[in-house]
Amino acid sequence: MSELTVETRDVEGVTLLYPKGFINAHTVRVFEGEIQKALAQGRFKIVVNCGGLAYIASAGLGAIMGAIEEIRGNGGDLRLANLNETVRNIFEILGFNHLYRIYASEVEAITSFRRAEEAGS
Amino acid sequence: MRAPKPSLMISIPSQTSFLGLVREITKKMAESAGFTDGTAERLALAVDEATTNVIEHAYHGSGDREIELRIEDRGPEFRVEVVDSGATVDPRAVPRVDLDRYVTERRTGGLGVHLMGKIMDSVTFRRSARRNVCCLVKRKDPAAP
Repeated sequence: MSELTVETRDVEGVTLLYPKGFINAHTVRVFEGEIQKALAQGRFKIVVNCGGLAYIASAGLGAIMGAIEEIRGNGGDLRLANLNETVRNIFEILGFNHLYRIYASEVEAITSFRRAEEAGS
Repeated sequence: MRAPKPSLMISIPSQTSFLGLVREITKKMAESAGFTDGTAERLALAVDEATTNVIEHAYHGSGDREIELRIEDRGPEFRVEVVDSGATVDPRAVPRVDLDRYVTERRTGGLGVHLMGKIMDSVTFRRSARRNVCCLVKRKDPAAP
C-alpha cells in the first residue's frame, strides 16, 4: 500500500488536492510534485482537502511554505479544508492557522475564492 | 496473571523509506499503552520527526547507517528513545522557531524539534557510550489503563 497518494481535480478554476496517507520527509516529494504541477500550469488557487491525511510532518509544512510566496505573488492562495483533529492540532501548535485560511469543508474553501472575485469585480 | 507491559527494540537503516514503519510501530505501541487514536498518531509524528532529524543532521543524509528505536510502555509513561552513532547534534544549535520569519524568509528550520516538544511531555538529548540518545516521554492520563 502506498504511504501517500495525492489525487487532484479542478473545480471552478480551483485546483483541489486530496492527499491520502501521511506526509513526512519521505513522502513529501509526492505532495510537493502535485503543488508544483499546478503552479506550472498557472493554477494558483489551490485547496488542500486534508480529509484523508493522517498527519503532516515539518517536511510537508516546509513544502507549503516553499510554494506560498509564488502562489500569492500570482494572485492566488493555498487554503486548507476538512482537517481532522490531529492535523488541525499540528497547524495550531505551529501557528499555521494564522498564516493559512482553514475551512471546515471543501465547498466553503472553493466558495471563498469565488467570493473574493465577486468582491473584487 | 497480568500481561507484561510491551516494549520493543528495533534497528532500521538510516533511510526515510523506513519512516512509514517507524510510524506504524510507534502508533501500535502507543495504542497498546492506552492512548487514543489521535494521540497515538501525534506520538508517531513526534518519533517520525526525531528519526528524520537523525537521518538529516546526525548522519547528514547518509543511508547506510543504523538507527535504534526503543519503545517502552513504562506504566505511568510511554517512552521512546531514538539512538544514533552519528555526529553530536547540539540541540541548543537548533534554530528557535520564529513564526514571522516563516513567511518572509521561508524559514522552516526547527519546526520538527518544536513539534516534538509540543507533542511530548519531555524531549531530552544525551550522549551515551559514544551515541546520541533522543528520549521522548509522554505521560499517561491517570485515568488511562
